[in-house]
Amino acid sequence: MRKKDIILYCLLTIVVLGLMILGLFLGSVDIRSFDENSLYIIKHLRLPRVIMCVLSGAGLAVCGAAYQAIFRNPLSDPYTLGISSGAALGAAIAIVLGLDVFFFSIGGFAFSFALLTVWIIIRISSVGNRLHITTLLLAGISINFLIAAIISIIMVVNQDSMDKIIFWTMGSLSGSKFSDITIVLPFVLIGIIIIRIYARELNALLTGNDTARSLGVNVERTKKIILFFSTLMIGVIVSYCGVIGFVGLIVPHIIRLLVGSDNRRIIPFSIFGGMIFMLVADIISRTAIAPSELPIGSITAVVGAPFFIYLLYNAKKKLNQ
Amino acid sequence: MQEASNDTILEVDNISYSVREKNIIEDISFQLKKGGFYSVIGTNGSGKTTLLRCISNSIQPRKGTIKVNNKLINKYTPKLLAHKISVVSQHSEFLFDFSSFQVVMMGRMAYQKLLQTDSEQDMIIVEECMKKTNTFHLKDRSVKQLSGGELQRVMIARALAQQTPIILLDEPVSSLDIHHQFEIMELLKKINKENNTTIFIILHDLTLALQYSDKTLALKEGRLAYFGKTREILTEENIRELFNINAEIIDNKHIIIKHNEII
Repeated sequence: MRKKDIILYCLLTIVVLGLMILGLFLGSVDIRSFDENSLYIIKHLRLPRVIMCVLSGAGLAVCGAAYQAIFRNPLSDPYTLGISSGAALGAAIAIVLGLDVFFFSIGGFAFSFALLTVWIIIRISSVGNRLHITTLLLAGISINFLIAAIISIIMVVNQDSMDKIIFWTMGSLSGSKFSDITIVLPFVLIGIIIIRIYARELNALLTGNDTARSLGVNVERTKKIILFFSTLMIGVIVSYCGVIGFVGLIVPHIIRLLVGSDNRRIIPFSIFGGMIFMLVADIISRTAIAPSELPIGSITAVVGAPFFIYLLYNAKKKLNQ
Repeated sequence: MQEASNDTILEVDNISYSVREKNIIEDISFQLKKGGFYSVIGTNGSGKTTLLRCISNSIQPRKGTIKVNNKLINKYTPKLLAHKISVVSQHSEFLFDFSSFQVVMMGRMAYQKLLQTDSEQDMIIVEECMKKTNTFHLKDRSVKQLSGGELQRVMIARALAQQTPIILLDEPVSSLDIHHQFEIMELLKKINKENNTTIFIILHDLTLALQYSDKTLALKEGRLAYFGKTREILTEENIRELFNINAEIIDNKHIIIKHNEII
């Protein structure tokens, strides 16, 4: 590892820890003294929330980088491709069916539906050999439309579950518990490690399937492994945090500007980038209109959607040259 | 089918590939010798690229077999096949800014284990290959900013870094100007001579095929119409049959197309 990178990682760790501590003290209730009440809020409400923030941010950002390479599309992100929404639909169905007593039914449903969405996306994007940025995005956006419609119907039909389902569609970290973290942590950790192991293969996949194959990459197997583990991460993150869009879009792009296009560097730096982005978004969501809270998904979207439009504009400009 | 002799490196035996019942290539058989310079010619849609993709194992023929060093290519792991065959395509699309050096380093992937970093030896090989292709001065430039000729030289450097006995090239010069076409062809000739690398190159320009290749494969409607010494294949008569044009060959070196005599 380069010396410069080690210093950068240390600095980023300090920033992340600083934001985490800030996150513990900011919120709808001001922490002025360390009385029993404040300590309870910090320990049982804010600490798990801040940790969940860090986990989901890292997971979403790394997934974004992985999807961008697998689909050879700079605008890919778990949300823009409809995969997060697929997971949310799975979760909503599990709730309506009354299966939300066990984690693995909500998580399992979320993961299965996310995987189904991935399959649909692959079917659509692999029509023809050429790379079509817009076809893939249209597929993702249409899936988002469809799922939004289905979720609305489910909500109207099952008024009792409405609050819970809204939570999934807007994204929220407010209910995070330590028991949730013990489930999310291993999935995110394993997912990130696997994706990092295949970072060099992801670089090759960015140059196209045929080229990657001629360079010695087992294309089909690599894609399956990466898609499985990244989608597993998305399924689990969405099960606990709901749909939080654009983290996987913005973070890898900014990291790419800073450290170059090599995924062996993008992935570790995206972990930190995702953490920082989510921590900041979470702090804003809790303080902007305190004592009320904004859904974190809407904050990331307010930043992410214009960024998405900007990237789309750039991609179009390049095509017209 | 005659037995493969010792210096046969690639053996294609009776392969066919079809898409929706339609045969793209049909019953193609030939052998390539070590160190040969082979050109592949034929009209658009005659199956040249499909043949190349079969050999690089990007697609699998419906029937027939392909062997490298007497071993079926689908018995190779992707990594080990990448030790034997490298590919240079007509267009290389890059989504993000990889430097030329990083791109050439990708040629070393097949020799690296998971998570292994680029070794000292990899660095040396990449530098050598870039110097040989006259691209070392471009090493820090983004591949997205290179001109067509520079990019193709970088792609050839990557193929060299793969250290394969066979390089397949799919119309590598078609989008280049005449000067750069010859520059690339000279480079390939040098690689062919110095490293004894087998070159298998799809060419549109018959003059280039005539001047650079020892042997030529001519495809017509998915079949191997002719295969043999380039000078014996590229005759005025055969060109007329393959391309429906009248051509004149001067000094066994130049092919003049008489444009007012398109049949």
